[in-house]
Amino acid sequence: MVGHVFDSVALKYDLMNDIMSAGLHRLWKDRLVSKLNPFPGMKHIDMAGGTGDVAFRILDAINRIESKPMHHAGDDLQEEAQIYVCDINPNMLHVGKKRATERGLGEDKSLFWLEEDAESLRFGDNSMDGYTIAFGIRNVTHMEKALAEAYRVLKPGGRFLCLELNRVEIPVIRELYDLYSFTVVPAVGKLVTGDRDSYQYLIESIRRFPPQETFASIIEEVGFKNVEYENILGGVVAIHSGWKL
Amino acid sequence: MYRTAAKRLFHGASIIKRSGGGRLLRLPSPRNVVSSSRFSTTIDPQSFPNQTLNPSPSESSSGSSSTSSSTSSTAGDGPRHERKNPRAGYEEEQARVLQASLRHVMRVGWSEEAMIAGAKEVGVSPSIVGSFPRKEAALVEFFMDDCLQKLIDRIDSGEDLQNLIPSQRIAKLIRIRLEMQAPYISKWPQALSIQAHPLNVPTSFKQRAMLVDEIWHAAGDEAADIDWYVKRTVLGGIYSTTEIYMLTDSSPEFRDTWLFLDDRVKDAFDLKKTIQEAKYLAEAVGAGMGTSLQGFVSKVLQR
Repeated sequence: MVGHVFDSVALKYDLMNDIMSAGLHRLWKDRLVSKLNPFPGMKHIDMAGGTGDVAFRILDAINRIESKPMHHAGDDLQEEAQIYVCDINPNMLHVGKKRATERGLGEDKSLFWLEEDAESLRFGDNSMDGYTIAFGIRNVTHMEKALAEAYRVLKPGGRFLCLELNRVEIPVIRELYDLYSFTVVPAVGKLVTGDRDSYQYLIESIRRFPPQETFASIIEEVGFKNVEYENILGGVVAIHSGWKL
Repeated sequence: MYRTAAKRLFHGASIIKRSGGGRLLRLPSPRNVVSSSRFSTTIDPQSFPNQTLNPSPSESSSGSSSTSSSTSSTAGDGPRHERKNPRAGYEEEQARVLQASLRHVMRVGWSEEAMIAGAKEVGVSPSIVGSFPRKEAALVEFFMDDCLQKLIDRIDSGEDLQNLIPSQRIAKLIRIRLEMQAPYISKWPQALSIQAHPLNVPTSFKQRAMLVDEIWHAAGDEAADIDWYVKRTVLGGIYSTTEIYMLTDSSPEFRDTWLFLDDRVKDAFDLKKTIQEAKYLAEAVGAGMGTSLQGFVSKVLQR
């Protein structure tokens, strides 16, 4: 079902993101990538990253490091970073590839667009330096399986980062947020994409998502160490992070 | 003061770690996590990871070889045991990465690059660099802690300090400590500027205070009065000036630096005598004035 939700949403996905979050989602993704601390030669999976927002930011960060004057070329061959943008929905990937071409990254050797199921990835064990999933984990049917797969493909020392809409813990903001979610969002969804139901599904899936602490302990149970989360806007969005060690 | 407190802390910590049971220094096991929001962080760096990072490298290098072997033996039992010591596991990895990074500092300086190279050397993904709260500062702080630990080891292993007078002991200890920095001297200005950064000043100040305290303690000082602060400040001054002098010293084996050091120590001890004499003078004057004041007051009251 979740695959088909994004069929109808894919084309207007970015527009809806901008409207629903008043453009703030860009800042949240910036924060996610700065926490990731990308480095040249990195191998990274951006899961559920369909339209490529996070992947483009990672590439930009790496290019910025490489162009810094103090940067010394490594003794070993300077490896190309490899960023795999994975999504279960081919339409989202299609939109992402188009955006890449528009940014001039169409021929970039570092970007790969793959159709993957988060619950069973086709990558080998211990092969990735980083794994991010932005606004995607709540759509996965079996969250633990996706987390276990993330754990499997990460190298020792690899970083897991999850950006997600979460529970608001501060009372006043919570009321305002609820009001906004249940009245404004589906209406705007209907107006912009003509599909009210998908956005209703979205709001409900946010409410069903476990609270920050519970999610953090699920991540830790899978095996990640030094698990922590950072609340943004009082909990509207949270970034969970863990390492495979 | 610092050393005895630190000894108690480390002693307690090593006991706890060896018994493998409840770790009072660390946070409770995952079962209790829902009640305490231990996972949450704010955008400002959390102080807790910084505190555990400071004592632990010296912990892991000195007393915990038994602990590291015990964790590696339980690793074979599967993830269940690992989860009981989640923090211990990753901190040892971090310490290993930092240790390996030091070898690259001479080439690329105290920077993220050194840490990335260190991580690759140890066989760990460089993404681990993101787990250090202040990146390069973590590397510098690790080095400072490491040197302090080596100094303590040298002192404990019975360096022949007994035959020297206090001023010579101090000079010798400072020399031992600064010689540890000698290999990194070309990149040491960078380390100093990292330590001077406002975010890093609290930690670097604390490390230097501990170092100075250690040196005085080893030189045989047991005072606990106002003298304590004066002595630490004076020694801190001697240490810093010698450290900076060393940055531009190109004499073979830093001979000029040691001469400079000896001069400064001599000045300080002369200063101490001068202060003592000034104190006696002040007491004498006070006593004299006191009696004359007393006489005056009694005369006034008699009237």
